[in-house]
Parts: sequence; C-alpha cells; structure tokens
Amino acid sequence: MGRIIGIDLGTTYSLVAYTDLESGQPRCLPDAEGRTLVPSVVSLEANGSVVAGWPARERLLQQSQRTVYSVKRLMGKGRADVADELKLFPFRVAPDSESVIKIDLGGKVFTPPEISAFILRELKRRAEKFFGEDVTRAVITVPAYFNDAQRQATKDAGRIAGLEVERLVNEPTAASLAYGLDKHQRALIAVYDFGGGTFDISVLRLEEGLFKVQSTNGDTHLGGDDIDNLLAGKARAEIQEKFRVDVAEDPDRYQALRQAVIAAKHELSAKERATLRFALDGGGEYVRELTRAEFEGWIAPIIERTLAPCRMALKDAGVKPAQIDEVVLVGGSTRIPLVRRRVQELFGRQPHTELNPDEVVALGAALQARILEGGLKDMLLLDVTPLSLGIETMGGAVAKIIPRNATIPASASEMFTTYAENQTGVEIHVVQGERELVRDCRSLARFTLKVPPQPAGLPRVEVKFLIDANGLLSVAARDLRTGDERSVEVKPSYGLTDEEVERMILESIEHAEADFAAVQLLGARHEAETTLRATARALTEEQARELTGDERRQIEQARAALEAALQTEDYQLIRQRLEELNQATHHLAELLMDTAVQTALKGKRADEVNL
Amino acid sequence: MSQRAMKKSGAGVLLACWECRGALAGVPPAANHFCDQCGKVQPLAGQADYFSFFGLPRQLGLDPAPLEKHFHDLSWKLHPDRFHQASDYERTLSLERTAVLNDAYRTLRDPVSRVEYLLRLEGVRKEGEIKQQAPADLLEEVFTLNEHLEELRAAKSAGGDARELDDLRHRLEKTRAAFQEKLDAVLAELTAQFPAWDEKADRAALARLSEILNRHNYIRNLVRNVTDELES
Repeated sequence: MGRIIGIDLGTTYSLVAYTDLESGQPRCLPDAEGRTLVPSVVSLEANGSVVAGWPARERLLQQSQRTVYSVKRLMGKGRADVADELKLFPFRVAPDSESVIKIDLGGKVFTPPEISAFILRELKRRAEKFFGEDVTRAVITVPAYFNDAQRQATKDAGRIAGLEVERLVNEPTAASLAYGLDKHQRALIAVYDFGGGTFDISVLRLEEGLFKVQSTNGDTHLGGDDIDNLLAGKARAEIQEKFRVDVAEDPDRYQALRQAVIAAKHELSAKERATLRFALDGGGEYVRELTRAEFEGWIAPIIERTLAPCRMALKDAGVKPAQIDEVVLVGGSTRIPLVRRRVQELFGRQPHTELNPDEVVALGAALQARILEGGLKDMLLLDVTPLSLGIETMGGAVAKIIPRNATIPASASEMFTTYAENQTGVEIHVVQGERELVRDCRSLARFTLKVPPQPAGLPRVEVKFLIDANGLLSVAARDLRTGDERSVEVKPSYGLTDEEVERMILESIEHAEADFAAVQLLGARHEAETTLRATARALTEEQARELTGDERRQIEQARAALEAALQTEDYQLIRQRLEELNQATHHLAELLMDTAVQTALKGKRADEVNL
Repeated sequence: MSQRAMKKSGAGVLLACWECRGALAGVPPAANHFCDQCGKVQPLAGQADYFSFFGLPRQLGLDPAPLEKHFHDLSWKLHPDRFHQASDYERTLSLERTAVLNDAYRTLRDPVSRVEYLLRLEGVRKEGEIKQQAPADLLEEVFTLNEHLEELRAAKSAGGDARELDDLRHRLEKTRAAFQEKLDAVLAELTAQFPAWDEKADRAALARLSEILNRHNYIRNLVRNVTDELES
C-alpha cells in the first residue's frame, strides 16, 4: 500500500505534507517555484475545463464570476446558513441549494465538495509527482468545531478527488502534534487557531506522548475573510463617497479591491502604517493612508469574538488561564499583532510562534498519517467531539445522548418503542448543538425505525449512535426481542447522499484527465504570452539593432506562428511554436544578457527586466 | 477481587478467543480486552457494564488516579489508530471497544454520573421517571431565585439601563452563590453514602442515593440556568 499524505484543506490556502520515514520529521511539499501553499481557489475556464491553485487565483481578477474562493465556508451548509455571506461572493448560487449549496459557474453547477475536490486533486498530483507513484490515501484536517455535515462534506470531497480519507483530524490538534515533538513530557496546551475562515480553540493535556484534548470550542464562520470583507466594505464606502463610483458593481473590480485591502492588511502586520492604492476605472486613484491603530480599531470587534470561545473552552476543561503551560498560535490571522496581544493578555504568557502558522497544521496531518501507517508508536491523539449529540423528544426538546467534549470514539444507546397499536415506524431526529430546543440546534439527520406491527409499547428497538475517531456519526439499530440487526437509512439534513457522491466520483474520473490537460494548456498559454510580450519589448531595445535582417525575419515569423497557435486549444502546437520562438530569439537574448545581469546586480528582479 | 464483585459481574461464563479458540480467563468477562495467548483484540462480551469493563466491582468509591491510568493504558492499546493496518474485523472491534472505554471512563470518573449509572444498573432509576419538582424545603428560596431571574430577563429585554442591570445581576449572583453552597453540601451528602453501598451492599442505601441525587440534579440545573443567564 502507498503512503498516506497529510492535507490541510484551508479556507484560503491548502497544503500537502508527508512524514519522512527515516527522520520521522514532517515536511510540506513545494511546487516547482518552491511554494508550499496552494490557493484554495478554483476557476472554470471558458472551454469548460477547471483549474485550481495559483492559476485560478489569477483568474479571480479577470473572471471573478467563474472563480470560487473560500468554499470551505460553504461546506456542509444550506443556502439559509450563509445567506448574508453569499451576497459578498462574486459567483452565483444555483436554485435548489437548500440542503447543499450549488454554485453556478458559467452554466455548470458544482457543490462545495466538488469544488474542494479540485483543490485536493491539485495536492494529490503534487504528492504523486514527489513520490513517483499513485497516492490514494490521505489524512485531511478540519476545524475542530466542524459539525457532522461539515466533516462529511470534507470526506466526500476527498472521495471525489480519488483520495480515501483515512482520518479527519482537528486542525488545532494536528498543530499540537507538530509542536509536541521534542516538547516536555507533561504540559497543558492551548491552541489558538485563527485562519482564513474559521476559528478554533482547543485545550490539550500532553502526557508522555499522549495528546488528550480536554475541550474545544470555536466558530466555523470567523476568520481573516471577515477582516477582508470589513476592510473592503470600508474602502468601497469611502470610494463611493469621494468618487461617486460603486466598485462593487463590477465583480472583477471588487475582487481587485479585496486583493488590495488584503495586501494592506498583511503590510500592517509588519509595519505601523500602510498605503492602500486602488486605480479607478474612469481615471483617478483612491489612495488611503492606514495606520495600525486605525486598523486595530476596526477589527477589534472581530478579534473580540474569538475570546468568548476561549473562555468556554477553559471552563469546559476546568482550568484557569494561568494553568496553561503553553499557548500555540496557528493560522495566518495570528500574524496580526492585535491578535497576539489579546491572546497574550488572556493567557498571561507569550504564545509560541516558532513554527510557520501556515504550515503547522499540514505538518501535524502528516504526523497523524504516519501514526496510521504504523509509525510513531510513541504518539497517540485522543480527540473529542465539539458539539453535544441529541435526539428530538416530545415537544421539540432535545435529549442529549453524547455530551460535547466527550472523547471519541464515543457511543450512546437509546431504547425506542411504539405509542400506537400496530405502529410500524418510529421517527428519529438527530441533532447537534448545546441548546435545549431542536429548532436552536443543527439538524443532522432523520430516519424512520421500522418495527413489526405489535401492540403499543411492546416493540423494543435499541438504537446505537456511534461517533468514530473522525467525529462522524453512524447509527445502527437492533430489535431486542429478536436480536435482529435492523438497517437504518439515514437521510442527512445537509449534505450529499452516497449515490450523489458515487456519481461525482465517476464524473471526476472522466474529467480528471481533461482537467489536467487544461492546466497544462493554461500553463503553456501563460508562458507563451509572457514570452511574446518579452520579445516585443526586447525588439525595441537598443541591443536589438545588432540583429541581422534574417534573424529579425525569423523572429517575426516565429512570433506570428505562436500567436496563431494561441488561437487554438492545441497544447502540443503551442509548446512547439513556443520552442521555435525561443530558438529564434536565442541571439537576441544573449545580446540582452549583459544589461540584464547588470540590472539584476542593482537589485531589480530578473523577470522585470525580461518583460 | 472480592466474591461479591465476581458475582455481580457475572463471571463463570466460558469464553474463547475468536482467533485461536484459546480460553479467555479474564474476570470479569468484559475485561477480556485481548486474548492472553495470541494477543488479538476481543469482541465485547454480552453483558458488559462500565464497571466490569475496567475489571471493577460495582462500587461508588473510586480513586480517580488509578482509573485514569487504567484508561490511558487501555487507550494506548485499543485505540483505532493502533489498528489502522489490521483486518476489517479487528478494526471494528477496536472501534467498539474504544467507544465503550471512552463512554465508561466518562461515566465513572465523575461521582455524580457514576451514581446515576449505578442506580440505573441496579434498576433503582429508570429513564423517564426522574423527578423534576423542587424539594419541599427549598420551595421558598427557589421561588425567590426564579423571581430574580425573571426580573433580570425582563430588564434585559426591556433594554434597562446599565446600573439597574448591574444591581439585578449582583443580586442574582448572591442568590446563585447561596445555591452553589447547597450544591456542594448535597454533593458531600451523596459521597457520604458511598460506603453504605460499597461495604454492605445495602439496597436501602441505593434508595437514599437516588433521593439525594434528585435533590442534587435539581439544584445543579438551577445553578446552571442562572450561570447561563449571568454569562449571556
């Protein structure tokens, strides 16, 4: 059997990691350019193919309505759950999105697990290239506070991408695994995980390799995205006031504004002030000086929202902030100085930031993958379920059967009987949440327990609810009078049915090759366009005068041929014409080399010079 | 292990390992997590209760430290992570056994849920028959508490001024503290009954425990509601 890879399927970025067999150390896999991050962005090309990652992120500014980001926030949700947020996304939501959101990209409809599968496939390919063999098994991380539907959607995404999800691991717990290496033997750890779209806090006790989660809390709808949306909204309002232009009318422009505020946000983590610049369509430029103090004033309410879950988690763990030995920061949003200050104030100690907050979750996933492979025998994770599991009782009340923060796997058995003569079915409604009434909890599933027609109260059916090590629920029923197992067909309230997932797997196998070809084509196109621009510019340079007429003609011919090839969808042809142009410009490149080297030595980037 | 413990946990049934057919000699049967001979994980025996799972008699006095150690030791051995490369059957057994291990530890480590569980096992308490009315001697105080609670809720929803809300909160906090004291006292009363059952297997003790438990749970829910209101 092949290796199991570790995947952090993030809101903004995703990563893939593996554990080195010899050293036992986890590592993130980089792309050819050395980047370990893969933007969690998926775009549908005009020709119907799909691209994911960096090329898709470029599309966000040109084809925003055909490009999806932050899809993790839609996993396991229905339209009503995210109505407010959907207004902010450039893409359209298709009708019939009540139990699963369906995203309409240029007439093609995708569910969040399918979109996530495109990202997973990108990571899978990266791992396959590295290992030189098929990779079909993965550990994928999820926010600790993800409910059953959100977890199931993540598992579905894996299956659609051709990955057997060997385990879903909670992100803060994974991070603590990565940090737990070479740490002292006994400690009480708080992991504060503030990412692109989700917030988690987990309190763990580490005892000689045993990572025991004591409690977890969070908000699966709170992250850097909220800060970006807030800033973009402020900038939009100011532009509207000053220039009487609504940037949001053009989705592409609004995405450009969003990127600009994100850049300013990043800058403010390192500097006291940043300048936000945004060129307006009808001429004019919005220039805004932003100080860190003003920025912090704006975002303080968002950061504040992370503190209540922290206090809840501490309370559930039965510890005071001062008892926490180590605080670990995870997630890109923990780079914000205000976040660090708040965390430090709450726990009264300096948080750990040694490991890259973007990579630490993926590294932990790789360690858990190694544990499942049978390695790292001196480490074991005992995680918990974040939300209480309950069943509906009379009058819409909830009877809790497994409490939140119960160590998983966990189970509960309930006895059911009938109330009417010859009743043949008992309705069971399973929910997740802490509130007393069904309507305030998350509906997980409904099912009908079939019973043989008998006098009321005579049938005795035992239903066993099991939450496995992934935090996923399964239900089994047994007739206590006959001892027969009864099959239970659970219809999830939110999410895909098994049949739908199967169909998507089949479709994705058919499309996988087409998608890969599309990525290749896109790459070649990009390279061709870059080369054409560089050639055009080079020909206007002084050094180009030294070319012979013949050389010039050859270059012109090769340029025209490549431009013609770009009109087609033929990858091979574009590659070939590109190669020919490179041949033809060989001498020109040499002529330019001296200047380029000199410029590079002055500290400019080489690609700026080539262009 | 004492005679009484063996009787209670139903030892005497002969069990054999599913793999090597060797006899499973562990007492009680539910504590046969693995086969002594071939080391394979074993299915749960029919009447496994949480006490017998840990090889314990049905006792209420439990030292938390050894229980936790036992829990850790079994986690290391039984957890599904340890069986990921094993056969489907063994993986199922590991999952089932670990779920019961966690359920059992969660139930037994806390004295109140331990009492609740024992009373159910011994048939003293049945689900759906648990009383929710206020103990007679507390009626007056409960009435006052509920009044304070209602006033705070009403002031909150009417958007009362900060000072008024603070006063109401403060008053409620004081009443809550009084009930918290009662809760601590009733918990002490509950644990004081443990030896009567553990040493003499006195069934009358179970009835007393059930009564104290009712009182305890009533006050606990009360304190919980007030705490929720004060923190929201």
